[in-house]
Formats: sequence, structure tokens, C-alpha cells
Amino acid sequence: MLSKNNLMNKEQKFNGIPSSPGIAIGRAVILKPETVVFPVEDVPAERIPDELSRFDKAVEDLVNEFTELVDKVKEEAGAVVSIIETNTLIISDKMLHAAVTDRINNGESAESAVVSEFDRQKQFFKHSNDVILRERAVDLDQIKQKLLSVLRRRSDMIDFPNNSIVVAQSLSPSDIIKFREAGVLAFITEIGGIASHASILARTFEIPAVIGVHNAVSMIINGDNLIVDGFSGLIFNHAEKKTLHDLVSRQSDYKKNQKALGKLAKLSSETKDGRRIKLQSNIDYLDDANSAAMVGAEGFGLVRTENLIISLQHFPSEEEQYNWYKQIADRAFPAIATFRVFDIGSDKHAEGMPRHEENPALGFRGIRFLLKRRDIFKSQIRAILRVSDHKNIRLMLPMISNIDEVLNSIKLIEQCKSELHQQKESFDAYIPVGVMIETPAAVMVADKLAELTQFFSIGTNDLTQYSLAADRSNELVADVYDAFHPSIIRMIKMTVDVAHKHKIPVGICGELAGHSASTSLLVGLGVDEFSVAPSALLETKKRIRETDCKIAIELAEKALNSSSHDEIKELLDMD
Amino acid sequence: MLEKEIVVRNRAGIHTRPAATIVKLAAKFKSDIGLDRDGFRINAKSIIGVMTLAAEQGCKLKIYVDGEDEQAAIKELAELFDSGFGEIL
Repeated sequence: MLSKNNLMNKEQKFNGIPSSPGIAIGRAVILKPETVVFPVEDVPAERIPDELSRFDKAVEDLVNEFTELVDKVKEEAGAVVSIIETNTLIISDKMLHAAVTDRINNGESAESAVVSEFDRQKQFFKHSNDVILRERAVDLDQIKQKLLSVLRRRSDMIDFPNNSIVVAQSLSPSDIIKFREAGVLAFITEIGGIASHASILARTFEIPAVIGVHNAVSMIINGDNLIVDGFSGLIFNHAEKKTLHDLVSRQSDYKKNQKALGKLAKLSSETKDGRRIKLQSNIDYLDDANSAAMVGAEGFGLVRTENLIISLQHFPSEEEQYNWYKQIADRAFPAIATFRVFDIGSDKHAEGMPRHEENPALGFRGIRFLLKRRDIFKSQIRAILRVSDHKNIRLMLPMISNIDEVLNSIKLIEQCKSELHQQKESFDAYIPVGVMIETPAAVMVADKLAELTQFFSIGTNDLTQYSLAADRSNELVADVYDAFHPSIIRMIKMTVDVAHKHKIPVGICGELAGHSASTSLLVGLGVDEFSVAPSALLETKKRIRETDCKIAIELAEKALNSSSHDEIKELLDMD
Repeated sequence: MLEKEIVVRNRAGIHTRPAATIVKLAAKFKSDIGLDRDGFRINAKSIIGVMTLAAEQGCKLKIYVDGEDEQAAIKELAELFDSGFGEIL
């Protein structure tokens, strides 16, 4: 058997779920949970009043402690305050109080009564179908632990050296607040979800955190040299020189980046006069999701899932897809990730695709291919549904040119839902389904599409290519292919008007979204969401923040009345 | 005694924050207020009770109110559910 000493200098790598971005390098401080079991003891009758007052005092102390915590953080974050206030409501719950008191009156010690009653209540949560509600069972556990430590007058404050990384089974919101005050650099926990209150707090305070690391408390030793990568969810122990070097340079890039970007990454994406524009990021690979987090994207407006086929060189299995989608969904949380189902044609080779078509752009691609290959389509729908249980996922259909394609897709999605339901898998039963508006046909029947779907996303690249009949990869017609053509501007306007009449949001995810001259025009046309490459996000945000809605609307009106590309170019001050 | 059927409309269901909002609102009234899900009845002034409903989106609940200010209580609670607790519907 290998002793722990033999492993001392070997690099170890642990994998968890990234729950708060950032990189930290420091030393492990292990918090071991106390596994004290309280037997249902028979407390002699004369000691019952003592037990009752111990319980009341513990509740009072804890309420005071939480009130103080609220005072400490209330200026920083409203979300934090409401989390702690909810904990206070739970501790002072009259029903709970009455039940614990009953148990004490029946001869249980205060500790035993607290454990039994909290565990009884927890059962209700654990059996919920809803993953978000199930995570609330953890909150109850943490409050139970708090009450027990107060009952035993154990201070759970430890003296931390100033480069500490806390490793624990789970952490409560109040732990996070206290540890932050003590200057802790990062958190690692064995359990907890990305929707847990502790994760929300770590993100609010911008402290890197990785959760769901199996056996972290037993595998990592006090004082170990750790690197926590809150972007990827990786933890390194005794990192090799190269790993250390890589991560140190990523950390300094991140810090430099943040400094250079100033406050822009954190500022909200809204116009001068306060209209909110949802600014999201396009995702091709997992790394993009990390970069998107760095620049403060409000979720992912377009995840191009076909990149998984291209990088694997085969159609991925449901499990392969699930693993990839899950990582992306978790990185987006609590913001939204929009998965566009495979948009491939014969121009991107993959096994099972036709080898050659005269004109792949007008060929067997996108939804046309998927509806003919239902085995592939179903495995993808199932994988996307399975990562939707935190309700932050949207599903998007590409290359729609007629209503039947949408109806058939929805039928298939419903079929997958009922299969998953039978298999007792959890998913979002109300997952929003949307369509890409990228063919002139879709623009013309947008009102019918809006009746069936929950959002639109305009793909300007294909819309331009199909409207102007200009192959976007053919240099000979490069001057014909023009996203600023008046016809494209008008089609965007038509789509926005229809979407808003049906009260659904409309996004834009083609290159036009990130084009420097287009921001105010698109805002003026009424687009609700922009999705751009991570590298273009902050520039776009800056332009959104400089946009005045009134001027933008006037600009859009002029553009809609222009007869030529040149007129529009002049309007937009383009070279 | 008044009763009214309501539907949970927000996407995330009655998780912690909406539960706290319900409890805080219920506490303002003198009436007894109960919430019933398929025959499982809880006291709406208890956050543990409200959370144990585990009510997800689309779930139907019944509000029972009994007391001097029952009219106002049922109206305000129904409005709160209807607004989806100010979250995404």
C-alpha cells in the first residue's frame, strides 16, 4: 500500500464542478465534519427545563449571529442578505420550534431533538422531483450543524494563515462570509450544487470555488500546496513546475485582463437611457465558456454543438454529449445556455453525412438532416434535456424553412420528455424551444413560427447568404455578400416586430452582432439579445453603453428607408 | 373561511426565496393561513412548511384563510402567486 508520504511530491489532480470562477494558489485547510451521533437518550424529568432553555438560547444566539452577518454584508449584495434572512426565518420557525420542544418534553436531549426533527423535515425535500428544491435539503443540514455547534458552544472559527484554501464536506452561507473575512483564497467542497447558496455567495464575493470533489476531505491533507482553477473545476495538489507555471500565467492574465477591462466586465449591459440588452457569448469549445465567464457574459446565446462532432470525428453518443453539455450548462449557471442542435451539412465531413453535394449550403443540412436521422436527433435532444434540470437551458433549431420542421421537432422533443420521465430522469419540462431565423422563408412565416416557439435568434450570416444568393465562401461574390444590405435590415425589423407582438425575445448571433458599426442600429431595430464571440463581448458592451435609444431608433428608421448599401454605410459612418 | 385555487407560475417553483416571501406576507395577517397540495396541508406562516410543499412550476395549490382579515389575505396571497414572485415565468 502506498503511504501518504510516497504521494507527497507527486502531482495529483482532482476534478470537480466549477462553481465560482478564478484561480487561487495556496495551502489546504481541512475542515472535518464532526460525526457525533446523539442517541435518543432519556433525559430525567428534572433536567427537561434546562434542555428547553438550552435550545431556546441556541436559537436566540444563532438569530443574533445571522443578524450581525446581515449587517456586515448588506451593502455589498442584496442576494446575500435574502439568503441569510431566509436562514433566520428557518431557525425561528414556530412549527419547527414546537416540534423540537415537544421532543424535548418527551425526554430527548436538545441535540437529539434538533437532529431528529431536522432529519424528518429533510425527507420532504430529498424526495422532490425538482433538483433546485432538493438542494434546499443541504440548507437544512447546515442550519442543523450550526444549531448543534452553538448548543455545544463550539466556536467554528479557526485561525487561518493568509494563503488558505478551505477544503470541506460542505459550507454554509455564513461559513463563506466568515471565511471571506478571514481572507480565505478559495473553497473546495465535496457536496453542494451550483445552485446552492454557498455557490451563489462565492460568486458574489468573487472567490474561486470548486464543488462536488469526491473525497476531497480525506484525499487532501492540511497544508498541501493546492491550485484551484474555478474556471475548469480542476484542483492540483503538489503541482509540477509546468502546471504551476501554466496556471500562474493564466492567473496573471486573468488579473491583468480584469484590470485592463476595468469595471466594464462587471457593468451591466444597458444603453445610456437604461434599456437592458442581454449580452451573451457564442460558444464553440469548452475554453470559450471559460473566456466568456472572464468577460462577464450573461450566459451563452449560441452553443454550436456540431463542434463536438468535428472534434471527435464521429457522431457523439448520448453520454459523450451529456458530459460536454453538462460542463457548459454548469459554467453558464445561473445564466442561460442556448444549445443549437447539430447544424452540419456535407461541407463539414462526418461519418454518415453525404460525401458530396453540388451546393451544400442549399443541401441536406441542419434540421433537414436531423429529421431524417431521428436516432441522432433523439440522442441529442435527450442529452440536452438531461442537463436542463437547473432550468437554465434553451434548445434551438437551425435552418428552419417551414412550419412542419418545427412541429416535427417539437413532437420528437415531447417524445423524449416522456421517455426520460419514465426513466425517472430529471429535466426541465418547460424547456424553451426556439428557432434560428436564417432563411428568408422563416422571416416570411415568422408569425406562424412565433406561435410554436419561445424565442428567436437571427443568424445574419446565413440570412445574408440566402437572401442575396451570394455564397459567403466564394471570393468572386464577396462584394455581393453584405449584411448591411437594406433587405437584411428590413428582415431583421420584420422578425423583431413579429416576435414582440407574440411577446417572445429575439436575439442576434451572426457576425453582424459583433460588428463595430452595427450596435446602435440593432438596438434601434429592437433586438433584445446579442450573442458574440467572447473576444468581442466587452467591445460590444462598451458600444451598447454608449448608445442612446432615441438616436438609435431614428438611425434604424433612416436605415429602413435607405435604398442602397452605400446610403446605409454613410449613415453608420463606415469606411 | 375562504379558499382559492392557485397555480405556481414561476419557472423555478417555490424554492427558498419565494417561500420566504410567502411567509413574510402571511405573517402580516391575523387570520390562519394554510396551503394545500393534493391533501397535504401546511401552515403558510411556517417557512419549513411552505418549503416542504416542494411545489414546482405548474403545480396547483389551494389557499385556505380563516380569520378577521381573510379577504385581504387571500387577495394579496393570490396576487403574489400570480405575479410569479417577480421571477421569470
